[in-house]
Amino acid sequence: MDADLLSDTFVALADTMVDDFDVIDFLHMLTDRSARLLSVSAAGVVLADPRGQLRVAAASSDEAGLIELFQIQNDQGPCLDCFRTGQPVTAAGLDGPGQRWPRFAAAATLAGFGAVNALPMRLRDQVIGALNLFSAGTAPLGPSELRIGQALADVATIGLLQERNVRRAETLAEQLQMALNSRVVIEQAKGRLAERTGLDMNQAFTLLRDHARNTNQRLTDVARHVIDSPTADLPPRPRG
Amino acid sequence: MAAGRPGAASRNPVLVAAVTARARRAARMTAGRPAVVWGLVAGRAAAAGRRASVADVCTVAVGCAQVSGAWVTVSGGRRPDFVMSVTGPVSEQLAELQLTLGEGPCHDVLATAAPVLAADLGDEDSGRRWPGFAASAGLLGAGAVFAFPLSVGAIRAGAIGLYRASPGPLPRASLGDALILADAATLLLLDGLRHDGDGAAAAAGGPAVDGQSPDLALHRAEIDQATGMLTMQLGTGIAEAFARLRAYAYTSDRRLADVARDIVARRLRLHRDPGGNGGP
Repeated sequence: MDADLLSDTFVALADTMVDDFDVIDFLHMLTDRSARLLSVSAAGVVLADPRGQLRVAAASSDEAGLIELFQIQNDQGPCLDCFRTGQPVTAAGLDGPGQRWPRFAAAATLAGFGAVNALPMRLRDQVIGALNLFSAGTAPLGPSELRIGQALADVATIGLLQERNVRRAETLAEQLQMALNSRVVIEQAKGRLAERTGLDMNQAFTLLRDHARNTNQRLTDVARHVIDSPTADLPPRPRG
Repeated sequence: MAAGRPGAASRNPVLVAAVTARARRAARMTAGRPAVVWGLVAGRAAAAGRRASVADVCTVAVGCAQVSGAWVTVSGGRRPDFVMSVTGPVSEQLAELQLTLGEGPCHDVLATAAPVLAADLGDEDSGRRWPGFAASAGLLGAGAVFAFPLSVGAIRAGAIGLYRASPGPLPRASLGDALILADAATLLLLDGLRHDGDGAAAAAGGPAVDGQSPDLALHRAEIDQATGMLTMQLGTGIAEAFARLRAYAYTSDRRLADVARDIVARRLRLHRDPGGNGGP
């Protein structure tokens, strides 16, 4: 574990949590940083929608195989078990025989992943989602990596709540839906931008996010502007 | 002022039977609560021999969420424009009151695209947020109001409001059902806007709830990405692009997610002006 990278990650995450920050931008950064810090191939934050579904809020990659893995986990997989039990769940050696989640293991192998760790995002007695870490190798993460992974999952929970003191269960439900809708706005804008420019979805996201950061705007606001603009233009830097 | 304009086609027993069969098939394919709740809406409409409307959604919401009443307000932007459907006189007054005062939970959900769950209209928080609405709603007999945006990302169609005479939180299962019903109302409104006054197009585009599995609840990023791509391919706004995507899936009898995946992979493009009737 690189100690500099570790402290740099938490400083960067804390720096992002300023007033009125964009929660999807924050969660996306968290998945990127998690993948780098823990040397895994991909990471994703999944949230529990009260409609009865697990939904991806942010992932370090838009690769189709990874998206499919999240979808399957509405039926089976470590993420679903993690959400149901509130405990970390490890799935290693996914290419071997006798799998606990056969459909998940097959899809993971196809997507190039040999091991997955799912870490719970908990608020008091409630599990609101999970941080998923996908490794190319078949070995699970070690104890020290898991501790850091859980710390990152806890930071994701704090970021999602935004308000420092969530007194009411209602506020949590409201924030969760706002985050999920923001994610949809961003995906719609990625599509519009990708079609206009010929970029792929990952590149379109980077374009949106970099523009938001460089012009000091919220990612969701930039995405809304792209959708509303007749020519899918990125919004100029606000005056003042 | 209930919604739904039962046309000649929707009274056709053959069409009703086909739509019901399709709804049953959709329910089988998609396990879980969304299919059950959508089935309640579609079943209610089919029993009455007409297409599902937001009025059905409101009625089902009262039963599922165990509240006293429900209403739907329609909006093209960040403020509610008019009341589309109500389940009773108190719901109607609560909906109209917010339009008149220019404040209330339904205004807030349109501004933020997030639900507003006011479990006790008599508490300090509600009184501060909506000084006029909270007091008047209390006099009308509402103890709690729960409002949900009718939106899919940047698409805004309106808001659905629920009220209960007694204060208290909305249980988690009721919250889930209310969110599912908000999705159903969103699709019904979007289809209504697209096909207004055009019965043939409505039949071709397919009834939102009767015919399709609840793909909105089983959300995939590809559906949203494809919707965004279609805004450029079709030269339309985001709501129209989404309606065209769903209509294409319905008429080609394919799953929405599969059509979306082909569009994102650039294996499929949709074109402007499908019917030669003046463009999208």
